[in-house]
This record gives sequence, C-alpha cells and structure tokens, in this order.
Amino acid sequence: MANYIFSNIAGNFVIDSGNRIIDKSSDAVALRAKYKAVEHADAKIVLSLFRGKEYLSAFREKNLAISKEKIRLSVNQDNLISQSMNAMQEMEKVSNLLSKRLREWYSLYNPEFSESISSNSKFSELVSAKSREELLKEIGAKNTMGADLGKTDLDAINVLASAIVRINATKESTREYAENIMKSYCPNLLGVAGVSLSARLIEHTGSLKKLAFIPSSTIQLLGAEKALFRHMRTGSRPPRHGFISEHQSICSAPQKERGKLARQLAARISKAVKIDYFRGKHD
Amino acid sequence: MIESSIFGVYEERNGKRRELYTKNLVPGMKVYAEKLVSKGQDEFRQWDPRKSKLAAAILKGSPNIGIRKNDIVLYLGCSTGTTVSHVSDLVGAEGFVFGLDSSPRVLRDFIFLCEKRKNITALLEDANKPLDYVDKVCQVDILYQDIAQRNQPEIFLKNVDIFLKKGGYALFAVKSRSIDVTKNPKVIFQQVRSEIEKKLTIIDYRTLDPFELDHCMFICKK
Repeated sequence: MANYIFSNIAGNFVIDSGNRIIDKSSDAVALRAKYKAVEHADAKIVLSLFRGKEYLSAFREKNLAISKEKIRLSVNQDNLISQSMNAMQEMEKVSNLLSKRLREWYSLYNPEFSESISSNSKFSELVSAKSREELLKEIGAKNTMGADLGKTDLDAINVLASAIVRINATKESTREYAENIMKSYCPNLLGVAGVSLSARLIEHTGSLKKLAFIPSSTIQLLGAEKALFRHMRTGSRPPRHGFISEHQSICSAPQKERGKLARQLAARISKAVKIDYFRGKHD
Repeated sequence: MIESSIFGVYEERNGKRRELYTKNLVPGMKVYAEKLVSKGQDEFRQWDPRKSKLAAAILKGSPNIGIRKNDIVLYLGCSTGTTVSHVSDLVGAEGFVFGLDSSPRVLRDFIFLCEKRKNITALLEDANKPLDYVDKVCQVDILYQDIAQRNQPEIFLKNVDIFLKKGGYALFAVKSRSIDVTKNPKVIFQQVRSEIEKKLTIIDYRTLDPFELDHCMFICKK
C-alpha cells in the first residue's frame, strides 16, 4: 500500500491509496520518517480532500497573511518614481490652473503688470512679495487702470499667490527627490532621457524591469497607443513617437526629421535601460 | 422585488430596464457605489451590469450561471472585488470564494473587502502559473475567469484542469481586444470556442454589448 504526502498551507498530510487523509502534522520531515518512502500526491486528485470547513478557514487566514506580506514586499523604487512623477504632473496642472485665476483676480487691481510678464511662476512670486507701486516701477509704467482695492481684498489675493509659490516649490523638491532616486536606480536612463521622460516611461510600463524587456520600437511608441491601434485597425498613418517626443532633441527638430530621431533616441534609451537593469552601474 | 430564474439573483423592473439585485451578506455595507434597497428583513444590493460582466451576461439572457448556495469558487482576476462581492452574496456564509489577482495595487483594496466578508480570501498570484498556488486552494465547484491576457483560453483550461471538480461550472469572460485588436471579435470568440470545446461542454455563450464592448461570456461544464 503506497502512501502519498501532500503539503499545503493548511499543513502536511499523508494520504492513502483510497484517497483518505490518514495523518497530518505541521512537520513534513517527521511525517516522512514515520511513513517510510512516501511519494508526492497528484494535486488533481487530492485537492478534493480539503473542502471542509476547518480547511477553508485555514486557507482564508493563511492566504490573507501571505498576500499582505507579499503586498508589503512588492513596494519598490518603481512605485516611488511613478508616484512622484504623477504628483509632479498634477502639481503642474494645479499650478497652471490657479495661476490663470490669480492673473484674472490680480488684474482687477493691476492689469498692466499681468500683461507685461508671461512666466506664471515669476508672476505669482512677485505678486506675493511686492506692492503695486514697486511692480509698476519695474515695468516702467506711470499709472494703472486697476481699481483701488482695500487691504482685506489684497490680502485674499496674496494668500492665493503665496499658495501657488508653495506649490511650485513643492514641485521642484519632488523633482529633485525623483532625480535622486533615479541617480542610483537608473543612472544611464536618466542621463539619456532626463528626469521627467525617464519617470514617465517607468510609470507607463510599470517598472524598470518591464521597460528593459521591451524592444526599442515599442519604447518609441509608448504613449502613442491610441494612434498605433488606430493605425493597425484602420490602416491610417502610423505614429512616429509617443512620450519621447518631449525630449529636447525631438521637440526642437523639424517635422521631417522627427521620425528618424525618435527611432534613434528610442534605441539609445533601450540600451541605457538594459545596462541599468542588468548591470546597475553608471556607464 | 422578485426572485429571478437564477439562484440568489433578484430582479426589479424600473420602467423598461431590468435591475439585478443580490441579498447583502453584510447588511449596511456598500462595496462600490451601488444602491442598497431594504425589503422587510432583508437588504439587497444592486448589481451593476456595466461594472460586472457576470451581471451583464445575466441581463443578456443567460438562463443559468451555475452558482449555488454553499459553493466554493475560484475567481481568477478578482481586481478590487466588484463582481466577487456579488458572488460572495450568492454562495452565502457557508460558501467560499478564492479571489486571485497578480497586481498588488488592486489586491490591496480587495483585502479590505476580505476583512469585511468572512467567506472570501485573497491570493497574490499569477494565474498563468497554477502550480504556484496549488498549495493555497482546494478543489472548487465554480471557476470564474476574467483576465485580460493574450493567452486567456490557455490559462483558463490549465486552471480548469487542476482545480475544477468534475461536473462543476466554469465561467469565462473573454476580452477579444487583448487577444488581437485587429481581428473581428466574432472570429476570436469562434476560435476561443473551438479551443475550450475540446475539454468542456459549452452550455451558454453571450456577447456582452452594450454593457462591455468586444467581450463575451462562456458558461461551460466540466
């Protein structure tokens, strides 16, 4: 009579040839010693033995514990990079939105200054730091068509302006944080593609590992999926580049050269990522 | 509120629309933003066909989904547990659901659901490698798969072979777009059908539009 042994997270079991559990223990080695020469059971047959209530509750508790532990261990540098990347993007959006509002609001008081300065971040910094007279002098205007607002009204505008300044500062420090992670995590990719593009590529594929395993032609088109699938379905013109179009060398190139440059840049990125993932040193 | 022909699923007519409900196992608890309706002592949760492919299949006219009270279910691709919560309602407190997903992010939300419902557990595993979790589950009455992978039919058959009991039901939601975007969904469904017909008897087949585009549901018996 051959006995079989089967181990799962509920314990270790000895099963006889009639498919009955005849012994169980938490110690597999002891079981093996007790029932000499036991073979491994065929999972397909013995799995039906564990449908009882006592096993189900063991499955529930153990699986939850295992999954929680796995989730805890699954957090890595890739997650941190993509979170900081998303945070940067969202702060950028919020900052632009609020800056537009600030300009509208402040222009009631001093329209000439808003007209003369185009940078949003500089605008909010100056508005929160200086008075109308100083600002007018800076742009060389003598008087203004803005209304005279009281102190409480100006204070409200100033609060918004300094909030925007703070958001911009946070964005900058988040960017530095992401860059610091990437300096040790994927230095070559960082060198080739820059902070925001590298972060975006990692965020989009999910991890550096996945990015290292995809071909450079795919990297070229990451972020242009919609256009690519439209091309595959309907035969429209294929996209030339996805996210990588934000890279300096492509966005400043003439339309005609962009496809070629995108292909070359994708190839360089692909190489850099592979070096980062498989060797892990700056090269 | 009337009991429909499907076990544990309740129906109500709202104008021309049919609305599905299941009896809430944990009264007062919402899982996603569904509607809760109290009738007498029981509380019912609305089952949204746009969020759950199983509900979509029922509304498209599936006569039988195979899930009975006290069943043990292996659910591959549980995501955050929208459908799982209704399956958990159907099998009741004596039944059990193993929810499996490979993404830590969605499983994190799913674990919170598991803590509230005593008949579910969570596994962070890749359904492509059933031998990795053969020591974590038991034989099941129902196998449900909703995974957007290119080799969905292969994964399905592998798991059916190992975990589903003889005579058990296997429910298979197919997303044709993740098998091949360029092909006509109908052609793909036909391919999938011929592939799973070798091992299983198909008792029902429904396309899920307009609730889910380019999806279909196979209900099979081992």
